[in-house]
Amino acid sequence: MKSEMRVKILVAVAALLTGMLTAHAASDDSLATPESFAAIGDTRARSAALFTELGKVLSHPRCVNCHPAGDHPHQGELGRLHQPPVERGADGHGSAAMRCSVCHQRANFDPARVPGHPEWHLAPREMAWEGKTLGEICAQIKDPKRNGGRSLDELVHHIGTDTLVGWAWAPGFGRRPAPGTQKQAGDLVDAWVKTGAACPN
Amino acid sequence: MTTLAITINGRAYGPMDVRDNLTMNDFLREKLGMTGTKFGCGAAQCLSCAVIVDNADGTSYTSPTCVVSAASFNGKSIRTVEGHAKNGELSALQKAFIDHFAFQCGYCTAGFVNEGQVLLERLAKKPVARADLEKTIAEALDGHLCRCTGYIKYHEAVRDVILADPGRYLTAKGDRVQRDQ
Repeated sequence: MKSEMRVKILVAVAALLTGMLTAHAASDDSLATPESFAAIGDTRARSAALFTELGKVLSHPRCVNCHPAGDHPHQGELGRLHQPPVERGADGHGSAAMRCSVCHQRANFDPARVPGHPEWHLAPREMAWEGKTLGEICAQIKDPKRNGGRSLDELVHHIGTDTLVGWAWAPGFGRRPAPGTQKQAGDLVDAWVKTGAACPN
Repeated sequence: MTTLAITINGRAYGPMDVRDNLTMNDFLREKLGMTGTKFGCGAAQCLSCAVIVDNADGTSYTSPTCVVSAASFNGKSIRTVEGHAKNGELSALQKAFIDHFAFQCGYCTAGFVNEGQVLLERLAKKPVARADLEKTIAEALDGHLCRCTGYIKYHEAVRDVILADPGRYLTAKGDRVQRDQ
């Protein structure tokens, strides 16, 4: 085989492999539409499947890092403890000597790789997702006693439009955004609520 | 570019245009030449870059400058280590740091001076019981890293400034009293 042909074959194989890997990565980073669950005939099963898809967002580091089980946020893709070692404080906005807003400003500050939002804070303890199964997160997220007193409709609005939630899709330099888009996540929550808000096992 | 107007050690600066990605630390050190505030870790962990931010209500807090933009300080009033001495006279805390040989290379010292000063001002408004003093000092200075000294002399210096004026910083007989400003 001539070397020119060998090179062409190698380039073609490399392009094919790259395409396959890219497609795989895209599927990890995307969210399925509610319509794509229509084939699941049983409404309850469809509802649970919708929540499972939403679980790709809820279990993502951009979300879980600030829904910790303890009193310290996490950071990074591996969920290591936040450095510096800050703590929840009395109101979830940091201790008296180190409020979250001291470093986390109103917007991401990419030169320092510090994420930001006007309401940067930890989720309340009752909204801890770290270490929970998707079923447990689902039960908590539906419970007004543990979800900030929200109705299911308010949940749709919260996940679909809240700007702090929305930060997960625009997290700044060096951080992988949550899968899909906030609108897609909101659509999934909406469909989940409309199908009875069933929780996966 | 963003407009920045800020008061530093009682002096107004600006309004001036600054780059959106200019850190406050670079603004102080590079633009204004105020190199008393140091750059240590660049990750808000060592707090050698911390300055005092004065709120309108008379309270103050320290803020790192290495990870926050200069623009975010627009409209604020801050104090740096250069602003503690008045008319050439060192503050009580600065004198205590010297008397106790609290620092060695001095790189973390600006942060400790600012944090200690915020603590003193807080205690002057809301004294603590003597029994709680060491814990209060430890909590206030927690987070400031020092590679040279082992921290003890910083703590002792702050403690001794407080103990030299107990009527100002400590409650009587363990009672917690909120003093009006």
